[in-house]
Amino acid sequence: MNDKYPELQLGPVRFNLANDIPMLIAAVVVFLLVFYLSRKPKLRPGGKQNLLEWIIDFTNGIVKGEMPGKEGNTFKLFIFTMFLFVFMMNQLGLFIDVKIDGYTWFHSPTASPLITMTLAMIVLVLSHYYGVKNKGFKGYLKGYVTPMAFMAPINLLEEFTNFMTLSLRLYGNIFAGEVLVMLIRNLGLMGGHAAFVAFPFGFIVEMVWQGFSVFIGSIQAYIFVTLGTVYMSHKAVSE
Amino acid sequence: MIYGLIGAAGLELGDFLFGLLTFIVLMLLVGKFAWKPVVGMMAARQDKITGDLDYADKSRAEAQDLLAKRQDELKNTQAEAVTIVNNAKANGEKQEKEIVAAAHEEASSIKSKAQQDIAQAKQDALNGARDQVADLSVTIASKIIGKSLKAEDQQALIDDYIKGLGD
Repeated sequence: MNDKYPELQLGPVRFNLANDIPMLIAAVVVFLLVFYLSRKPKLRPGGKQNLLEWIIDFTNGIVKGEMPGKEGNTFKLFIFTMFLFVFMMNQLGLFIDVKIDGYTWFHSPTASPLITMTLAMIVLVLSHYYGVKNKGFKGYLKGYVTPMAFMAPINLLEEFTNFMTLSLRLYGNIFAGEVLVMLIRNLGLMGGHAAFVAFPFGFIVEMVWQGFSVFIGSIQAYIFVTLGTVYMSHKAVSE
Repeated sequence: MIYGLIGAAGLELGDFLFGLLTFIVLMLLVGKFAWKPVVGMMAARQDKITGDLDYADKSRAEAQDLLAKRQDELKNTQAEAVTIVNNAKANGEKQEKEIVAAAHEEASSIKSKAQQDIAQAKQDALNGARDQVADLSVTIASKIIGKSLKAEDQQALIDDYIKGLGD
């Protein structure tokens, strides 16, 4: 919206702290979570190990669905980390929203297109890298002229649209969710004569919408890694 | 939003670098401290389950072999037992017959011996009586005739006489 963001200029590069701080916090939370869950792994797993193994099985299942063979093993850790990272970034900004003097200090980093594009770029660069690695440079280039040579422009365009859809889908969902959270909050806190109607109404609707946003955030994290896996498998696996 | 898109194009490269770095470091740390031990443990568990299943299959096959063997042995044992019992029965019958035959033989020998003894005793008694009758007759005769007869001379005559009596 029309928020102002705190920025930090280091030489030529500028950092948007409203993206970087929550991203760092999300990464730390993800790490502490899995670090805690993975202490003293046993052959007969207990409660927290079961939870972690369930998440691992879940993300491994996404990878196996697209790449049943050995190639999939390369991406399992990547997809696991990406899923938890995106999930955590989606959820953190939902209930933590820090604004000081009109400056936003904390929101979902995935509500910024820059961050989702960064993530999508990591996925796509990896897909091209493993495309070359697994098929050779010739095989990789051949991927652009399949099934026919005149398809090359469409294939090239597809690379661009893959990148845009992957990043903007995540951004759009989370950004819209955040905007609506803010609008409902503003409605609830508008004060004036209608305050005693608006506040309970806003409170309840806000709760409902946040619950739904938790759902959206989880689904979007799942979709992001699933589509990322699909793009990577297209490049990296020879049929 | 337009602000954000323009920012993405060039102004806030820092976010991109920071995001990249954060993700890479996060992935390395997660991989080292959480992924590796837990996935290793999962692989170990899978190996163990596979091994246990193989072992169970092997054990079951062994048990079945053993069972078949035992059943064979049991069958052999039963046959053997039947043979032993049959032999014992045959031996018993044979012995019984032998004993009965021996008893019969002994009894008949005892009987014939007893008959012989009886005949002997009867003969002896007859002989004794004959002698005494002879002596008595001679004595009576000598008394009657008054002269002594020689017993030896009359013996044949008396024997004939007695024989006639005996019959």
